Amino acid sequence: MTTSIPGPSGLDVGERATLADLADLLLPSAHGMPAASEVDVQGRGLDRLLASRPDLLEPLRAVLARAVGRPQTEVLEELSAADGEEWAVLTLSVAGTYYMDPIVRELIGYPGQTGKVINDAEFVRMVSDGLLDPVLERGDIWRPDGTD
Amino acid sequence: MSEERADVLVIGAGASGGVLSATLAAQGFSVVCLEQGDWIDRTMIRGGELDWEVTARKQMSADPSERCAPGDYPIDSTESEVLPLMWNGVGGSTLLWAAGYPRLHPSDFRVRSLDGVADDWPLRYADLAPYYRGAEAAFGASGLAGDPAYPAEDDEMPLPPLPIGPAGWKLAETHNRLGWHWWPAGNAIPSKPYRNQAMCAQRGTCMTGCPEGAKASTDLTHWPEAIRHGAKLITGARVSRILTDSRGLATGAEYLDRDGVLRFQSADITVLAANGVGTPRLLLMSADAHHPDGLANSSGLVGRRLMTHPFAVVTGIFEENLDSWQGQFGAQINSQQFYETDADRGFVRGALWSLSPTGGPLLHALPQRAGDQIWGAEHHASFRRRFGRGAAWSIFGEDLPDEENRVELDKAATDAAGLPGAKVRYATSENSHKLIDFHIAKATESLRAAGAVDIEVGKMPAYSGWHLLGTARMGGDPATSVVDRFGRAHDVPNLYVVDGSTFVTAGGVNPTNTIVALTLRTADHLVRTRAEQAVPL
Repeated sequence: MTTSIPGPSGLDVGERATLADLADLLLPSAHGMPAASEVDVQGRGLDRLLASRPDLLEPLRAVLARAVGRPQTEVLEELSAADGEEWAVLTLSVAGTYYMDPIVRELIGYPGQTGKVINDAEFVRMVSDGLLDPVLERGDIWRPDGTD
Repeated sequence: MSEERADVLVIGAGASGGVLSATLAAQGFSVVCLEQGDWIDRTMIRGGELDWEVTARKQMSADPSERCAPGDYPIDSTESEVLPLMWNGVGGSTLLWAAGYPRLHPSDFRVRSLDGVADDWPLRYADLAPYYRGAEAAFGASGLAGDPAYPAEDDEMPLPPLPIGPAGWKLAETHNRLGWHWWPAGNAIPSKPYRNQAMCAQRGTCMTGCPEGAKASTDLTHWPEAIRHGAKLITGARVSRILTDSRGLATGAEYLDRDGVLRFQSADITVLAANGVGTPRLLLMSADAHHPDGLANSSGLVGRRLMTHPFAVVTGIFEENLDSWQGQFGAQINSQQFYETDADRGFVRGALWSLSPTGGPLLHALPQRAGDQIWGAEHHASFRRRFGRGAAWSIFGEDLPDEENRVELDKAATDAAGLPGAKVRYATSENSHKLIDFHIAKATESLRAAGAVDIEVGKMPAYSGWHLLGTARMGGDPATSVVDRFGRAHDVPNLYVVDGSTFVTAGGVNPTNTIVALTLRTADHLVRTRAEQAVPL
């Protein structure tokens, strides 16, 4: 009997375990970054992804079903070589979830697409530093249309 | 079921439809606009949210075949090298555009005379210049007058330029050393609060909608004003055909409302503003016994001469952090060093370069334009080398018109109302290939000179059909054009087209400033000639 994890996506324990295994091959612990399963890509992370992209649920389930009982590296090589919809679904699900994780974002120095207040200080400096002067000194580069 | 007759019926509520409707309504015309899509639910704009990048690839995709929204119709692109990209709804593709806002150049209107290919427009840059100023004011454009790539203008841009950022500064200094042109880019994104538009917050999420309501889109810039002046905007309205009377005048449009009820909106003047795929689709759908090849199509050119812009992106990876996920995704700086024709290069015409941010982390893990997917341990090392350290030249090359590149009806695939879809056929020309190869090489040289340690190139990705042009071209001869220099159909004196379909040549720049300028010029014409305009009885 399978047991579903409470959460919007409804993927069961086995499916999530399969996803964790595949995800850790794609995004292992290395170079100071955690493995995908260490940031719960297969749990809370996946639920967050599927809340935004419910269209991925069934295609992802189909990919995971394909991996059951098989060496995961072999499955990934197959999917990668085919480079079709299944590979796209899996990589989007894994990478999309991973890079939404706050720990991962902290480690890569990415605060999100934050807003900031702009002013004209840079433009003032552009003028005072003479950054535009060489362009202006070279003169016009547009081509007359011959109707003058 | 018929509705009360309007002075002007506008089909399409995007850039040109919104501008035209607001302009004419303010002049006292009664205006009805039929829009197949809806007002956007702004909670769908996720630029400031965690799930921005994952939703960008589906709900906010510019590919209607990926998005499959209720307001879309099917487009068969199996025989097209380029996917047509658009948003169907109030604001049209201005919801998702990058808002780069350059003008065409004087030479762009005289390609036949100057370079012996394509055709000349029936108007000159000087004819359009006053309307470019109007277009820039209409959309809260930020920029800097005095660009040597254009004739000198007395008027300033409405707002000062947006920041060029660390990457823009680096490339500006580099081009100064190389002796190559650069200039702060013009963007339809305000650098200060402007009318209905907020000030840019530099999120870099422009192409999935602006969370701030800064980037110009006509749902913000024009439709509130249009409605305040009495324009009636009917959403969820799918036009099935434009009808004509025995005198050959357009009488209005049949459409299916969101409940599937067939209605008819009559009007003195009918205007198409449905983009370079949607406009020919509607003209072809309007075929009848008197117009067997489609309405306004005695030339046979409706749907033909589809031009996009051959596109490439060349990204330089630098050792230092440039925070390159941030900044306006119109452009930070432009270069037009290689814009004008130099026949010694082995091709004609040229391209605009736009320096833009390089996207969020998912785009680096799953590149869509340039770069490879790398998995396993090496993923993290590769990611750290590239993320936030890029500077990308986006290259829009001029596309020469070819009648074989075209939009046709696809009666095998229908939309939610049972109306035929569109089929797009498009092949890239030899001139475009040579042009793009040259510009990729030069952009690489630029980035290497700036200190890039690695270069990634995306040449002509399929997901690049943002600019849909030429499919109802203007001209003076009805045998070789669909509309005249004001967008009036030669065959139907009270039918107009105001979107990019009317372009004679594509230029090598983002087209929307020109589309809006032409729309303002047509609006002016409609006001001035109102008394003489032939209308149905």
